[in-house]
Amino acid sequence: MIRFKSIISRIVILHVVAVLITSIFMSLALSWLLNYATNNIHNKAMQEQAVSVGQHLSAKPDGSLDLNLPQDLLGLYSQAYGRYSYAVIDDRGRVLFSSLRDHAALFPADARSGDIEFLQQRRGDATVSGASIRKTVGNKTVWIQTGEDLANRDVLIDDIVADFYRNVGWITLPILLVLLIADIAIFRRALRPLRQASEIASHIGPTRTDLRLPTEEIPREVRPLVSAVNQALDRLEEGFRIQRDFTADAAHELRTPLSILRTRLDILEDEKVGEALRRDVEGMAHVISQLLDIAELDAFVVGALEKADLRSVTAEVAAFVAPLALAQGKDVALLGATEPVWVKSNPEMLSRAIRNLAENAINHTAPGTTVEFVVEENGTVSVLDHGPGVAEDERKLIFQRFWRRDRSKPGSTGLGLSIVQRIAELHSATITVENRRPAGARFSLKFVPLSP
Amino acid sequence: MRLLVVEDNEQLAGLLTKALQTAGYEIDVLSNLEEASTVLRTTFYAALILDLGLPDGDGLALLREIRHRNDPIPVLVLTARGGLHDRVHGLRSGADDYLVKPFALEELVARLEAQLRRPGHLLGSSLRIANLEFDTRNRQASIDDQPQVLSARETAVLELLMRSKGRVVSKKQVEDHIFGHSGEVASNAIEVYIHRLRKQLSERGAKVQVHTIRGVGYLIAEEK
Repeated sequence: MIRFKSIISRIVILHVVAVLITSIFMSLALSWLLNYATNNIHNKAMQEQAVSVGQHLSAKPDGSLDLNLPQDLLGLYSQAYGRYSYAVIDDRGRVLFSSLRDHAALFPADARSGDIEFLQQRRGDATVSGASIRKTVGNKTVWIQTGEDLANRDVLIDDIVADFYRNVGWITLPILLVLLIADIAIFRRALRPLRQASEIASHIGPTRTDLRLPTEEIPREVRPLVSAVNQALDRLEEGFRIQRDFTADAAHELRTPLSILRTRLDILEDEKVGEALRRDVEGMAHVISQLLDIAELDAFVVGALEKADLRSVTAEVAAFVAPLALAQGKDVALLGATEPVWVKSNPEMLSRAIRNLAENAINHTAPGTTVEFVVEENGTVSVLDHGPGVAEDERKLIFQRFWRRDRSKPGSTGLGLSIVQRIAELHSATITVENRRPAGARFSLKFVPLSP
Repeated sequence: MRLLVVEDNEQLAGLLTKALQTAGYEIDVLSNLEEASTVLRTTFYAALILDLGLPDGDGLALLREIRHRNDPIPVLVLTARGGLHDRVHGLRSGADDYLVKPFALEELVARLEAQLRRPGHLLGSSLRIANLEFDTRNRQASIDDQPQVLSARETAVLELLMRSKGRVVSKKQVEDHIFGHSGEVASNAIEVYIHRLRKQLSERGAKVQVHTIRGVGYLIAEEK
């Protein structure tokens, strides 16, 4: 069985069937109507003929009847023509006059017949249909019968019906076509809000749980579905909220014991052991805070109106990392734009992305070199180092969570760049990695610039 | 000098008390908001160290309450939530500074002192980097305990850098500090003062270095 998956194909097929049925029904109705109308006309004509024949009946002095038809009527009933016939019968069933060759009655005589009767009788292979009226001429009651051979009339009706299809029936085809076009137009209009809703729905994800499908324009028939989807989204958003709350709780639960440990180490008498353990705790705290950053990012939504000054955020990050760089015998510098560069971004997220790039660069740049931050007016921030650079085949890998080139090297979690990438995704920003000559890497983040 | 620590974790509260006592403070510890709110109305403290996650509510509520009655007590927030919304929220609610757990005790004491040393606050002591010392009460710099004579502007720049020890001071901050918020400043004026200060310090044998972080600002640190 062929299944019609789309609503429009179902409607089209229904309409085709409906038009076909209508065409067949129309021809039947037309034949019936024609028959009905011609029957009425025929009966009326027969009655008039009978009345007309009756007018020419006269009583002779001896009491018998005389029929004196004028020439035009005689012509009508002449045997050669054969279509119309008459007969006059008295109250005893005797045929007084007849246009038939065998001088027979058209219909069986029946004394109980009323003033007017419409009758039908088979004669040989023809069917004669006509009227019988009662008339009193002199002191005699007679029945005047007139009839018509129906074969002639049926041929005419058939011709009319056939002509109807030839001349008028073709109009069903254009009607069908107009219907199809109307179907498609109505459907497109009706489905437009649904397409818009689909467009919105395609943006819904873990990072955009605040979106809901509009219900105003949706056709009433599908509105329950759309409302149900929206309710499902409400429940999902609640789920994400619970997850976010869990993140905050987990942060508290992990960080407080770490804080106790750290404080114990800070008041430890043995400075040497304390120093080593402090570094361990710091490393652990770093991993925890990056994991929490990632958890937070997974549920983060950038507000539609959020903006940040790329220059000032980069300057803050440079100031923040400068002491760390100096402590390692390295330097940082901020170059490029001197005026604010507004971009579509959450300022804290922007800061985290640049900070992770900065920490990465400071870790990799050679001692005695400078990590440079370059802010451009087009919304790009680049971090340039003088390290080993990134091999071509590693450029995708470095953004994966927990990926590290050298797993034995301490101080790196392999999470920093994945955080940068996630933040870039959230802001529709692009990341590019290039190598510099003679050595070093250039990481660039291009955000969507806003006109001031 | 008496400080109030509001922290519900007994171990951490105990350790903080011990450490801060070592640094020369007297410490009261409370573990919930209600008690803290009552005590703060009747007792004078030099500063408040406030944990945000408390058993009977959010520490930020107490912070708002304190600020609502115009109590200028310096508040240092300790938070286990590193989340950005929390941070921004905390500072907007009237915290003077915050530290995300786990923090270094040294950092806590330094931040605390920075708060207490602010104009109108109580602590006035000397700042020290290597053999360079700066007394904030009489604004006197000394190298190897020998008082040094510096010009008023060199002294001002040095004080700002010393107060911001370990952090970068932006050029704008130096400008505002020396010239105030009004008045035209020649574009290279700050570089000139920094250069002079650097020269003075090195000529007099200070084992410190004033770093220029290009495009960002200045930072004073121990010479390597």
